[in-house]
Amino acid sequence: MSVPRGAVHAKWIVGKVIGTKMQKTAKVRVTRLVLDPYLLKFFNKRKTYFAHDPLQQCVVGDIVLLKALPERRSKHVKHELAEIVFKVGNVIDPITGKPCAGTRFLENQSDSENLTEADTTYLSEKLQELKVCSTDK
Amino acid sequence: MPMKGRFPIRRTLQYLSQGDVIFKSSVKVMTVNYNTAGELSEGARKFVFFNIPQIQYKNPWVQIMLFRNMTPSPFLRFYLDTGEQVLVDVEDKTNKEITEHIKKILGKSKETLEKEERERKKLSHPATFGPKKYHLRECMCEIEGQVPCPAFVPLPKEMRGKYKAAMKNEA
Repeated sequence: MSVPRGAVHAKWIVGKVIGTKMQKTAKVRVTRLVLDPYLLKFFNKRKTYFAHDPLQQCVVGDIVLLKALPERRSKHVKHELAEIVFKVGNVIDPITGKPCAGTRFLENQSDSENLTEADTTYLSEKLQELKVCSTDK
Repeated sequence: MPMKGRFPIRRTLQYLSQGDVIFKSSVKVMTVNYNTAGELSEGARKFVFFNIPQIQYKNPWVQIMLFRNMTPSPFLRFYLDTGEQVLVDVEDKTNKEITEHIKKILGKSKETLEKEERERKKLSHPATFGPKKYHLRECMCEIEGQVPCPAFVPLPKEMRGKYKAAMKNEA
């Protein structure tokens, strides 16, 4: 029976990076929903996987997609980094393609729109003071 | 003594088995991004609250991850075995519409499900007797109209082995 890919059961998994202290390896925590047999409620069960990250581009807190390697790379590393789904601090909303943080977009902000009238007059006064006049000497 | 919780019916086996979204075998991971506030995410929130348990119950090998308040727009994302990713925008949709949509795009069709059911039925022969795990019935005595189990109703004299042996010896 040929095993084209994955000597391991999980072929594709999504998890959060929890450690990057190893060279070219990322420690990824994967949560799955498991049914409690008595309460009949689903709870997150976590498991850590080690993933090969040759360019060391993962930071702690990234959400990553891992792909199973055809054969084990080392005793614990059986997956490699396929793509970084959400980079921490730099989340791109896939529907619009714009950077966002929480529930607001980051692109929309521009300083001049948020200033009030008083602010603009104050700032223009300051600018006047800063103007270097050649006659002052 | 009522059940505990907001909608405890979600925690019954009958409700869980009523889920009708069964994913194709190529779907490996399902990711739901939604917001905890806002009108647009309302359908997604209801979907997570009511339908995700049903989906996970029917598809125990699909990894489901929930992300809250990461992006302004709510969406679902499926990662297939082929490396393909399916993005489903669920802004301004009710939870029923969402389930219908994913059933249509990534769910097993009714014909496939019926075919699988028939395949499973073929493996077990209904006319055999044996342990409950593998057969429908354990003994002929369970069927109405057949000789009842001698543990409950003693057999008539003529059917008992010792009578038959005695008659044979006599003759």
